[in-house]
Amino acid sequence: MRPLFLLLAASVSLAPAQQIYDLLLRNGNVIDPANRRTGRMDVAIIGDRIVRVAPDLPASHARIVIDAGQYYVTPGLIDLNAHFGPAGVQPDHNELPYGVTTAVDGGSASARDFETFKASVIDHATTRVLAFLRVAGDPDAAATTARKYNRLVVGMAARDATSVEAALKAAEQTHTPVMAPAVAATLRSGDIVTNTYSRSASPPALEQVRRRGVLLDGTQGAEGLWFRVAAPAIRQGLLPDTISTGMDRASLMLPRATMTTTMSKFLNLGMTPEQIIERVTANAARTIHRSDLGALSEGAGADIALLEIEQGNFGFLDSGHARLAANRRFRCVLTVRNGKVVWDSEGLAAPDVLKAGPYSNFK
Amino acid sequence: MSLRYLVLFCSLAAVAGAQRYDIVLAGGHVLDPANNIDAVMDVAVSGSRIAAIQARIDPSDARKRIDVSGLYVVPGLIDLHAHVYGYSGALLPDDSSLVAGTTTVIDAGGSGWRTVDDFRRTIAAQSKTRVLALINIVGAGMVGEAAESNTEDMDPAKTADAIKRSRDFVVGIKTAHFGGNGWIAIDRAVAAGRLANVPVMVDDKIFTNTGRTTREKVLDHLRAGDLHTHMYNDRQLEVIDRVKGKVQPYMIEARRRGVLFDLGHGAGSFLWPVATRAMAQGFPPDTISTDLHSSSIMVQQSDMPNCISKMMLLGMTLSDAIRRSTVSPAKAISRFPEIGTLGAGSIADIAVLELQKGVFAFKDSWGAKRLGTQRVECALTIRDGALVYDRDGRGFPVWSNAGAYEVLP
Repeated sequence: MRPLFLLLAASVSLAPAQQIYDLLLRNGNVIDPANRRTGRMDVAIIGDRIVRVAPDLPASHARIVIDAGQYYVTPGLIDLNAHFGPAGVQPDHNELPYGVTTAVDGGSASARDFETFKASVIDHATTRVLAFLRVAGDPDAAATTARKYNRLVVGMAARDATSVEAALKAAEQTHTPVMAPAVAATLRSGDIVTNTYSRSASPPALEQVRRRGVLLDGTQGAEGLWFRVAAPAIRQGLLPDTISTGMDRASLMLPRATMTTTMSKFLNLGMTPEQIIERVTANAARTIHRSDLGALSEGAGADIALLEIEQGNFGFLDSGHARLAANRRFRCVLTVRNGKVVWDSEGLAAPDVLKAGPYSNFK
Repeated sequence: MSLRYLVLFCSLAAVAGAQRYDIVLAGGHVLDPANNIDAVMDVAVSGSRIAAIQARIDPSDARKRIDVSGLYVVPGLIDLHAHVYGYSGALLPDDSSLVAGTTTVIDAGGSGWRTVDDFRRTIAAQSKTRVLALINIVGAGMVGEAAESNTEDMDPAKTADAIKRSRDFVVGIKTAHFGGNGWIAIDRAVAAGRLANVPVMVDDKIFTNTGRTTREKVLDHLRAGDLHTHMYNDRQLEVIDRVKGKVQPYMIEARRRGVLFDLGHGAGSFLWPVATRAMAQGFPPDTISTDLHSSSIMVQQSDMPNCISKMMLLGMTLSDAIRRSTVSPAKAISRFPEIGTLGAGSIADIAVLELQKGVFAFKDSWGAKRLGTQRVECALTIRDGALVYDRDGRGFPVWSNAGAYEVLP
């Protein structure tokens, strides 16, 4: 007994120096714009936290090792504008397979029904679901709800031009941004215009509000992105500050408003992978004042995406169902949410069947 | 200039007059098992119906001509076992199925006779996907273990009545997850099936000493045409004898008598050792289905193309897999040839599939992967004559040629 006890004591004394990682993503092409960090690195996870981001971490100290050598390793993506809830879509299978670990609802719920929305959508989702609260008349009620749920409500949503003023009042009380569907004269620095490249968008007006610090979201959605508007605007330098799906029941099918699809459109319109990844991670987190998200910081929650850019003959549709011929597309091969592999299209984290077993249904 | 415009006008008018078809899928490899078609053909759609399948259709006959060369054109897939209502893991049909080429989903037991009208109104009527129902023998539907074991809510007469007044929507009965002892759930489901003359799908959970066995179930309690789902699970001594590694003789006998075996992949019911042995011994699923729900759609990705790919990895041909994903499920619910075929005149539910070559990983319910060299992915879906999903935008013009376009048809 005594030698065993000694051995045990020895290993315990080593524990602080040698951590056992639950998950190690090895040798990926890390793009972590919030920390201004790019290059070949390993990302180590214990529990639900990122514990190390550095080259050449010891693989022998990890329960699951994933060879990420062929992929970009990015913070879990943030979809700044989606539509969930009873009239919307379900978050998990429409977001996690596309690398999104945080999805912000763009105003499905108001103060009146936020708690129902929380119970039916937020609390059931593996995706972290946050919300812009739709301001329906009463700014004070919206502000009260936003204060009560300040980890979930990140801003105020104006559905149309007439509700912008009420949304601004609620936003001023809570120091949060307003998300508006079009340019409005009263929008402040840090407020967000969605549907930036809609068919009714005016690039000069967009340039003008941008100079005041208003942020432009490259939303897909049913109305938000028209190549005949976006292609010339992007060519002239009017890039989006953030990129979002705007997904709802209609746009999820045609034009297929998922995150990697929407990112692929901007890629083929001339933006670089780094520019795009910055917009769906660091920029989106900053927009909603959530510095805890969108970064691969040591100590941060382990929300991570493994992405690749495929070459080939592809095509993408816009809100008018017009086609953009494309030779590259983003694809998400693996998503980690809260330290757990929740999407793994290539089976990178799965054991080969020949090594798996013994099989039992009684796990 | 004016002459040129006149010529242009005349030719446009001529083209418009000659466009007999709304959509022509051109140059694809058509697999239509119902009509023994396995060849490169053009498929024409007019309105909501399939108008023609011919070796070549004149491009000027088509309002919208979509080049699908290099792809397979098959009847819209029919998922005989999915979850789109009632159950806590239910998915919305359109964004889980149409994007996978599945144009018909049969909800397996989410609703019961008490809730089937609500199911129709809130989900089926709101979906582009054709949604049909196997209603639960439990009146409340698939709302948790306690309800599913409540024998007082298993009423064959009321269940049969609900079916008789909704025959356009309800195609059969489901019983699942019965936690009690004995045969009440299965026998009442079969009794309702006899009253309404519809099949019963059984997902039985024989974990403990329940006073019933799978052998008795498939030989003594199910009728020809009833469905044993989750066939490649590992719950007890089901398809494969654990000691001998052989398909159970009573399963072979049940199949001979007409009991149908349904894949029902799901999150717990597709295991490589079971499926591999069964397929090697010639015991394939009669119907390929997903048991798609919020869990199985994620890591296992068990949508119809994924299930088809897995069966191909185990030796099934694409053509045979398509038959078991179209004709066979349509026949199982007595909806053939209304669906499951590309025959001229039938409803235009069509999937265009890409057979990808490479190295792909396929995961089973245990979380283990098998590597394969082929994968089926949906590229385009037509439902009721409408182009509802188009991965690569094949069916639409390039934006720079479309002028100041509004929403294009």
